[in-house]
Amino acid sequence: MKIVLDRPRCEGHGLCEEAAPQLMHLDEHGELVLDREELADTDASTAQAAVRVCPVAALRIA
Amino acid sequence: MSTPPTSDVDLFADDVVVDPYPAYAALRELGPVVRLPANDLYALTRYEVVRGALADWESFSSTSIAFNPAANEALTGTSLASDPPEHTRLRAALTENLTPRALRGLKGRIEAKADALVAELVDQGSFEAVDALARAFPLEVVADLIGFTGHVRTNMLRWGQAAMQVIGPMNRRTAENFPVAGELYAWCAQVTADDLAPGSVGRGIFEAEARGAVPGGTAGHIIHQYLGAGLDTTVAAIGNVVALFAEHPEQLDLVRADPSLVPAAFNEVLRHWPPVNAWGRRTTRDVVVDGLVVPAGAQVALLLGAGNRDPRHYDDPDAFLVARNPVDHLAFGYGPHGCAGQGLARLEAHAVIDALARRVRRLVVGPEVRVPANITRSIERLPVLEVVPA
Repeated sequence: MKIVLDRPRCEGHGLCEEAAPQLMHLDEHGELVLDREELADTDASTAQAAVRVCPVAALRIA
Repeated sequence: MSTPPTSDVDLFADDVVVDPYPAYAALRELGPVVRLPANDLYALTRYEVVRGALADWESFSSTSIAFNPAANEALTGTSLASDPPEHTRLRAALTENLTPRALRGLKGRIEAKADALVAELVDQGSFEAVDALARAFPLEVVADLIGFTGHVRTNMLRWGQAAMQVIGPMNRRTAENFPVAGELYAWCAQVTADDLAPGSVGRGIFEAEARGAVPGGTAGHIIHQYLGAGLDTTVAAIGNVVALFAEHPEQLDLVRADPSLVPAAFNEVLRHWPPVNAWGRRTTRDVVVDGLVVPAGAQVALLLGAGNRDPRHYDDPDAFLVARNPVDHLAFGYGPHGCAGQGLARLEAHAVIDALARRVRRLVVGPEVRVPANITRSIERLPVLEVVPA
């Protein structure tokens, strides 16, 4: 299980970081960085919350 | 698979646009999709199907976001009214200067402006909240952002209002507003970099066009969308903030006690009273929505305001409760066409809510006045009779 980012679609709204700060963050330029693409089972609900809140649907779980 | 139920509700009747929630509740209970002969469209009513349609651009085309053909025709070639792959390129040009990362430099200025304005109004003790705050603040922010000066600045509010009205069906309001929306359209078709203040984002869009970073001829379109989509909606949202905090002082108290609730409070304002309640799409094929068939080529209305009150998704949906922090509300839409200006809207609204929560203990208001409008649901006048300062 991993998080996949559609980079061109991401506009840096940062709602995913608020939902899952341990999995992703915006860097100093406001670009999203995935800190852990490969997910443990214990990350599943947090990752789903991040995917859910992305306002432009730029994240998905594969 | 079956045919959607039918209702005689008229989504754009005066009483429905002023208070759509009773009609929305009835439609939602009738079905996830309801055919409305009065408007010649299919309404999507429940949270999950509205969100699903917003994500599914292949089935629900944005070439008919407006509810009359002339407005859709006028919007052709904008990111708002196009589908991928063309949309992807237009959206990138539109958002280049509008994403949170592009706006970071403005945050401090916007917060300072909001705080100064709120401080002045609190000092005054009584004021008309729509003119003095809900209109004044976004007008100043957007005018400075785009670099509008002179007569354009004085026209911004009426142009912005008209641009939203004409998205409605071809009723009297739409007909009356087409000439005004046309003034905005004509101005945007001939505006040049020199008309906009040096150093502004608006000037930057023309500079981007000159160096080829934005496709030739689109700078005027982008300015048009900033003004057409970005002003009337934000005015509505900020008026709603004042009205809802006045009506629910215990909710204001929660934000005063815990300022980290400012974003949650804005999410709840947008869920409870979205500035835009209905937005159009057209089906590209026969689409099955929750077991009901919407035929190919049908006009669709996505009822954002009905989805936001769906008890299947939000507990006690008619209550205004900031602590629920409904981050997945539908007021900004969702997906590839999700509101391009939501970063700026958040900056503005968070600044206003934060200033109110720091400076105001209680707002005593008189009755709010509402005027029917096709697309933007906003308060026309809201007298604040007394401010109890913090």
